[in-house]
Amino acid sequence: MICWSCEREGGGGPFCGICQALLPPNDGADHFAVLGLPRRYDLDFSAAETAYQGLSRQLHPDRFATADPRARRASLGQTVQLNEAWRTLKDPVRRAEYLLELAGVEVASDDQKPGPGGERGTRKVAVPPAFLLEILEMHDDLGNAQRAGDAVKVAFLTEEMRGRADEAMKTIAAALDTGSTQAPDQGRLDEAARALIALRYYRRFLDEADAHEDARRTGRGVADG
Amino acid sequence: MAEALFQISEPGASRVKHACRTRAVGIDLGTTNSLVAIVDGGRPICLTDDRDDALIPSVVHYAADGTVVVGAGARDLASQFPHDTIASVKRFMGRGPRDAEATRRLTPYLFAPAGPNEGMVRFSVTSGTRAVTPLEVSAEILKALRARAETALGGPLAGAVITVPAYFDDGQRQATRDAGRLAGIEVLRLLNEPTAAALAYGLDKQAEGTFAVFDLGGGTFDVSILKLDDGVFEVKSTGGDSALGGDDFDRAIAHAIIGRLGLGGEIDPRTVRRVLDAARALKEKLTTEGEAAIEIALADRTATIGLTRAEMDALVAPVLARCESAVRRALKDAGLDAAALSGVILVGGATRMPLVRQFVEKLFGKPPLADIDPDQVVALGAAVQADILAGGAGQGDVLLLDVVPLSLGLETMGGVVEKIIHRNTTVPCGATQTFTTYADKQTGFELQVLQGERELVADCRPLAKFSLRGIPPMPAGMARLEVTFTVDADGILRVKAREEITGQEAAIDVKPSYGLTDDEVERMLLDSFAHADEDVKARLLAEQRVEAQGIASAARLAMADAPELLTDADRVAIEAALAALARVEVGNDHHAIRAAVEEVDHASKEFAGRRMNRAIGSGLRGKDVAAVEAKADETASKRDLATRAGSHAGHSH
Repeated sequence: MICWSCEREGGGGPFCGICQALLPPNDGADHFAVLGLPRRYDLDFSAAETAYQGLSRQLHPDRFATADPRARRASLGQTVQLNEAWRTLKDPVRRAEYLLELAGVEVASDDQKPGPGGERGTRKVAVPPAFLLEILEMHDDLGNAQRAGDAVKVAFLTEEMRGRADEAMKTIAAALDTGSTQAPDQGRLDEAARALIALRYYRRFLDEADAHEDARRTGRGVADG
Repeated sequence: MAEALFQISEPGASRVKHACRTRAVGIDLGTTNSLVAIVDGGRPICLTDDRDDALIPSVVHYAADGTVVVGAGARDLASQFPHDTIASVKRFMGRGPRDAEATRRLTPYLFAPAGPNEGMVRFSVTSGTRAVTPLEVSAEILKALRARAETALGGPLAGAVITVPAYFDDGQRQATRDAGRLAGIEVLRLLNEPTAAALAYGLDKQAEGTFAVFDLGGGTFDVSILKLDDGVFEVKSTGGDSALGGDDFDRAIAHAIIGRLGLGGEIDPRTVRRVLDAARALKEKLTTEGEAAIEIALADRTATIGLTRAEMDALVAPVLARCESAVRRALKDAGLDAAALSGVILVGGATRMPLVRQFVEKLFGKPPLADIDPDQVVALGAAVQADILAGGAGQGDVLLLDVVPLSLGLETMGGVVEKIIHRNTTVPCGATQTFTTYADKQTGFELQVLQGERELVADCRPLAKFSLRGIPPMPAGMARLEVTFTVDADGILRVKAREEITGQEAAIDVKPSYGLTDDEVERMLLDSFAHADEDVKARLLAEQRVEAQGIASAARLAMADAPELLTDADRVAIEAALAALARVEVGNDHHAIRAAVEEVDHASKEFAGRRMNRAIGSGLRGKDVAAVEAKADETASKRDLATRAGSHAGHSH
């Protein structure tokens, strides 16, 4: 990248290799590259967090509050990219989704933009209809138990769902973790993708149960007071 | 080049360059009290008055002769002049007249009629000769703080970091920023109060680990979860209630007092003020004592009210219980159990109450920390951040990583909000999403930016609207609109929209409709000089009348043109709005005219949209537009939902 400050080739890092000015972000860099981490599912969390903090210290706009406007703009861009990278990689589910996206398997979720490349060259993975029916039934059971005020049944259903979510997480980790930076094969990718979709349903179920529980507790808290 | 180089390799150089760095201050603009602090010799300190008092009561009195009294002097005048003395103004910041309705039952203030366009409450003071906005009242408090700081520093301020509750929405933040501007202060940053507290606490105590900050102030409740690690203060999550605080305890106690005194019906404002003051005094006494009594001067007698701590606790417990779900959610968003926390930091005057401390201990399972004065800790942290931003070298490697408190999104078909940036995302941040058209030959997008966690537009707070036009007619779903949200380190949102095929672009810096433009700040400054504003008013009045005539004739023309698109409800609403406009148009109140114009616009919006849709979709296979919309509702997947079509007829601003 040509440095805005010394107008020479500044290299690929965040700072110009010659004059040390902060350069705008490299839009092509993937999240792993931004944080300087190996591209794999398995993550040394505390090392990654240390890397994130170290980069934040160097790049954050507060460090450039009184600097040249071009450096301030570069700092904003770099930090937006850094924060997005860390938001994605620190969460095991988002990390898995991102690895699949990099491998061309589509599992776009509600809070994730469609990956670069969009619809082209991606493979969609779906879950069997029987799975969806089963989830629907469990939702019905939960709703009925909630309406009936059957706390034992609600707890039982929630617990079962939590167990399934944990299982799905393990499946994802096992499928994606190849023990190296080598990408998993097609079969393992598909397995991870299916588990991810299932996990999304489990989480929605658990969120719903949580919200209901929260409302119930708050309602009672006020009445008791 | 040179400057950036100095920043990195020669900190000494920037020190010379920014010799006035210590002139940046931290301001805690509180509901009940306000403070100002500076960093002196590497340590933050609160500036005090000649009686060594750091607190300035956040009370402003407007005297009949036009003078303005701020602080303890104003508070002393409150019970004598309840209408003219504004306390707890922070609760009204960035709030529209409707928002204030809930608190109106037990406040001593008079409210001036305000149009929907203003979006701001106005207090009517000095027997109705003057109407002041919460923003102007806050600016008076800020001026007093600025004067205190400039006296201490012996010169003008370079700028200030002003703290706001973490859970303040964009409108409340913008109002605070504008108040700073109105007070002649350069606002370097708005800093979240719990974050400021953690900053002060972490630096002073060298604390490391993950902490919860439980901040219960006079009018707002915030909870934040932060990780303190080697000088990096990373906010993990934040939550709260921007309308819950010690004031509500006072109100709950006051309601009980009113019941005991047998006061019913309309209570005169003086009595309301006295009862509220008595409630607060009782609450403060009961912080250290088991029981207390206080005399209240009523119109016809003096009454004595006695209360035990247990009785008070029973009155305020239901209010306090409202904190619980916010705490739970913050922990969940941070992905933590209460047991994983290293400690809980108490902030805000209301956390002095024994009941609050017991509540916190029960909720988190550990006794809370309150080593630093909970009244001062926020201002101290703000001073530290001001020093960092002004280039002060005193704070070494300290860095704050704060988050977006509320999700930001766009309106899509069917009045649903598509979230683009989720709450608790670290700032600065950005995200891009692609939308498409829902109608054939749609040539424009109207984008409505919203803030909040709810799914429906009606339940979120609208921040801004803008539109993108000039897209060539294409079949539905063909145009690709790429929308990018960016929130910078100051928490300011910028939205950019780009149609990929044509390259048409539009961008705005989001300011909510009640945020002020430079012109408006100037006008308010003008307004504050008595009699200097007659010319301005005359011009505004003339402009508003032109506007009024324009919209009235446009609306009548449209109704005559397409009566078949007009529902009965529309017709009634539009006619009523037009009649109201005709009434105020002859008057001299440009605010009222503007409000009435807005009303007409609002009432005719759906009708205008239908007309426009018909104009756009007249080639739509002979189906009526409503049916096409309904179908789009059913079939389109959420991601493909388009934003609303094109412009609406009628006037534009």
